[in-house]
Amino acid sequence: MVNKQNNLPTGMISVVQRYSTQDGPGIRSTVFFLGCNLACKWCSNPELISSQPSIMHFEERCTRCGRCVETAVDHSIRFEGKSVKIDRENCTNLWECMIACTQDAYEEIGVKISVAKLMDKLVRDKAYYDRSGGGVTFSGGDPILQGDFVIEVANRLRKNEIKSALDTAGNIAWEKLKPIIDAVDLVLYDIKAFDSKIHMDCTGVDNQLILENARQISQSGKDMIIRMVIVPGLNDDREDIRNRIKFILSLGLAVKQLDILPYHNLGVGKYARLGLTYTINPTLNFDPEIKNEIIAMVAGTSVRLTFSEF
Amino acid sequence: MKELLEFQPQNHDLDLLRIARLRTAMQHRIASLCSERALLVTESFQTTEGEDYLLRKAKAFAHTLKHMTIYIENDSLIFGNQASCNFAAPIFPEYSIKWVIDELDEFANRSGDVFYVSDKVKEDIRSIAPYWIDKTHEDEVNRNLTKEIRLAEKQGVLHRGGISMSGDGHIVADHEMILKRGFRSLIEEANEKLLLPNLSLESRTFYQGVVISLEGALHFIKRYATLAFEMASNEDDSKRKNELLLMGKSALTLMEHPADNFYQGVETVYLVHLLQSIESNGHSVCYGRFDQYMFELYNRDLKLGLITKEKALELITHFFLMNNSHNKVRPFGHTQFSQGYPLYSNLMVGGRKPDGTDGSNELSALCIEAMNLTAMAEPNFSMRYNNDTPRDLLKLAAKLVRTGCGMPSMFNDDVAVKGLIGLGIPLQDALDYCSFGCVETGVPGKYGHRATGMTYVNWGKVIELVVNNGTDPDSKIQMISLNGKNDSEIEFDSYDELWNGWEKLLRFYSDIAVECDAICDRSLAVYDADPFASCFIDNCMELGKTLKNGGAKYDVISQSNIGPVVVGNSLAVMKKLIYEEKKFSLDQLKEAMKLNWQGSSAAAVHKLVRHVPKFGNDEDETDEIVKEVFESYLKLLPMYKTERTGKGPEISCYTMSTSNITSYVPNGLSVGATPDGRLACSPLNEGCSPMQGTDTCGPTAVLNSVAKLPNDKVAAGQLLNMRFAPGALKGEDNLDKFVSLLQAGLDMGIYHNQFNVIDSKTLLDAKQHPQNHTDLIVRVAGYCAQFVSLMPEAQDAIIARTENKW
Repeated sequence: MVNKQNNLPTGMISVVQRYSTQDGPGIRSTVFFLGCNLACKWCSNPELISSQPSIMHFEERCTRCGRCVETAVDHSIRFEGKSVKIDRENCTNLWECMIACTQDAYEEIGVKISVAKLMDKLVRDKAYYDRSGGGVTFSGGDPILQGDFVIEVANRLRKNEIKSALDTAGNIAWEKLKPIIDAVDLVLYDIKAFDSKIHMDCTGVDNQLILENARQISQSGKDMIIRMVIVPGLNDDREDIRNRIKFILSLGLAVKQLDILPYHNLGVGKYARLGLTYTINPTLNFDPEIKNEIIAMVAGTSVRLTFSEF
Repeated sequence: MKELLEFQPQNHDLDLLRIARLRTAMQHRIASLCSERALLVTESFQTTEGEDYLLRKAKAFAHTLKHMTIYIENDSLIFGNQASCNFAAPIFPEYSIKWVIDELDEFANRSGDVFYVSDKVKEDIRSIAPYWIDKTHEDEVNRNLTKEIRLAEKQGVLHRGGISMSGDGHIVADHEMILKRGFRSLIEEANEKLLLPNLSLESRTFYQGVVISLEGALHFIKRYATLAFEMASNEDDSKRKNELLLMGKSALTLMEHPADNFYQGVETVYLVHLLQSIESNGHSVCYGRFDQYMFELYNRDLKLGLITKEKALELITHFFLMNNSHNKVRPFGHTQFSQGYPLYSNLMVGGRKPDGTDGSNELSALCIEAMNLTAMAEPNFSMRYNNDTPRDLLKLAAKLVRTGCGMPSMFNDDVAVKGLIGLGIPLQDALDYCSFGCVETGVPGKYGHRATGMTYVNWGKVIELVVNNGTDPDSKIQMISLNGKNDSEIEFDSYDELWNGWEKLLRFYSDIAVECDAICDRSLAVYDADPFASCFIDNCMELGKTLKNGGAKYDVISQSNIGPVVVGNSLAVMKKLIYEEKKFSLDQLKEAMKLNWQGSSAAAVHKLVRHVPKFGNDEDETDEIVKEVFESYLKLLPMYKTERTGKGPEISCYTMSTSNITSYVPNGLSVGATPDGRLACSPLNEGCSPMQGTDTCGPTAVLNSVAKLPNDKVAAGQLLNMRFAPGALKGEDNLDKFVSLLQAGLDMGIYHNQFNVIDSKTLLDAKQHPQNHTDLIVRVAGYCAQFVSLMPEAQDAIIARTENKW
């Protein structure tokens, strides 16, 4: 998307999460972008997969006042239980229902934002970035799908002496990815499986490009933090985990840190709010043997290992 | 047994088991009333009829000290008791007694701050009450209250606060001077003054009062020597026996001369505090900069091998714990304003010295460790910091914050110092500032009573009155009309006109509040005449005046203004929706407010109101209006004088404070729905903190909003309270980031900040009532989030996790 007046790209984001402490070093502001070209079964941000805004419905805020029921076309919203049931396929005026609701039970996720407006939000926390060695993280969704916008913001951050990080799955052509990588100071890179069949099963896409881009980034001189999500029954094959780690270690000194992210179900409720179905039900227990094996494999390397406790 | 934060004992001088026992004893204390002081003071007063009131007070003080029960707490290395048993509140009939009688059978049935009262105590108190009819400070205040004050109270705008029926408190003695001189030297000075020719009657009685009070105090201390020796002779445990003998030996001569060593120093500051709390029942009797004035003794003893760090930590911890044996009883109405038996005995560490260099030292760290071992409400522990404060010390403080005790509260040196300089206080003295209770600041040993909290002014009610033409919807009382008509109908043609209405009512009620302060102050000058407390403050000894008569070098007071953010948010909503976007009229808004936002059309108005940005989200337009609200009050202050202006103090004036203890809750009870979207009867905002539930952008946005306020002009303290979930500070990385947040607060010009690290109970409540907890920040999947924004199952997970202690 391009702003006609000054040719500056605009972005489509959900929120700027301030005092973000886990998306890179120091205190950060994390910008969540809309749009992703993977479809991970465990995705905990399903509202960010589409590149277009979506409307969430918060059942617990509903008072059954009936305003949305009256507003919705073709009886596409009706009372059910303590709240209402939305027939999303046929409710073509959900947006009007959101306006009608006085309880904020409907919330639009996704807002178009200009470079200047986003910058105004981001520079406000410079004192905190400076004191903590932090900065801004672009996350999502996958921000690389809005590359021009990210590059413009990153360049302006650099002019303001604010460091930036890119949190990505890396699934676009290297020529498109490279300029984005060049614009940021740190890359948080997701590797969801090494075996391409496992990757395909879990995310709907092949991983050859992703792995190749990882190599490219590692040779570009940019620091990397690799993030490895492990979901029981989906991508926790022991052999694949070993191969992933071997691959990560083969990337050399660019990799400063490896974050192991055990599966959590914190995003499950969002599916209902979006009228989507959550299809998986893995155990929440993280196999301590896997943990020990990872520790053993990474021991002695220069890579700092962290386990997220969600 | 509590674990230490960082300190690693190298010997057995620190007995953690004993500290645990002492702490358990303090935790299991039962609040009760003690009648001894009431009986003794009455007895003394009956024999001094006709004498000067100050002398009567001094004699009653000495008489009490001579005859009250004394005991030494098991296990404690610190002696000194305020009443006949732990956590018993003495009664101060000379200040007020009527409410004590009225509530005597109700103390045990209160919904909070319960006091147990034995039949004997009830009988005692009832027996002395008749003597005090029409003779108390409260009676004197009541005789002088104007009709305006009473009406403003009925409207719910003014609340007289403790000063209308108790002592003033809010005082920090010159402990450095006391340690270096002892009481005897001050007695000698007073006796020399008494030999001066042409001494005024006022000065003569003052010096006589000083002598009587200090002699009484010295005798009181010696009583503990007798007791300690007696207890030692009956003690089988040899270690304890020796300790008691040492205590007894120390008490024989304590304060007859300068403090000999660190142990005596600690005992002395504790006793000075205790004695102040027997002389008068004003709260916020504070310790000031303990790590500064104690360091010389500590360092000397350490170098001479007379003490170990472990022993010093043990002594400080005992001293801290013993503060929890004191108590104060307030009428139930006042209790709502200050819940939880608070004494606000502030003790401060860290910060710059009068020469400008950073003064933090080993004792600062030991105090933080001691507070961790204490983990009780007293002392009210706070810390000063600046760009030269060692990061390690800040980190240690952050570790204490992380334990969830809410302490230390953090004061930014640069802003606080600038505030005092703005009052005309010289740099050297300003650099030596400390807390005088909660967030209110002043110069120890040089400030008179009361840095803040004279009369409470309910700004939430004032904005409600503005939109109702001065008529209180509840009581229907109208003291002033904005349009000349005698009803609540009003229209403002523009935002400027609305703003003028705010300024007009603010001025009207501030004037009345200042009059109320003066009435209380004039009465306190007589009834709170306190030679003991006064003689430790410059320039009382030089001038021969008590504090309340103008003896203090600096005499700065402030009221407590509650709800500035409710006012600012309300104005922002009306500006945007009525005057800029013209979404509805003031009458329509008032109609929705009257319905407390219930019902279809009111709910629609409420939605628009909710969506206007609120203070605390780093939104410039609203933040600017809140700032203007502050400024509208600040510009009134130069017009107001204290009762002592020109009568002794080098500086005596009014300033501002947002220190409001728990008053934002009861003040909210009397205010209907406000234009900011607040529900009727719900709390107002706390201090300068955002309105509960309206800050949704995290801690940095809150700090950025507060940074836009004229913090360095709110010279009696700008209160900011923030909440974190324990997980947000978990582990080294998060702790480090929290320390960086603290440091960034210096860059942003924040005055003060205190942190609640929330337990599961609160999280459960947050889950049930999310609207009250939108400011709660928790650490979730790899990031920090607003707790109420999470899914129920995520909330459950976090609730379960925080059950685990780190």
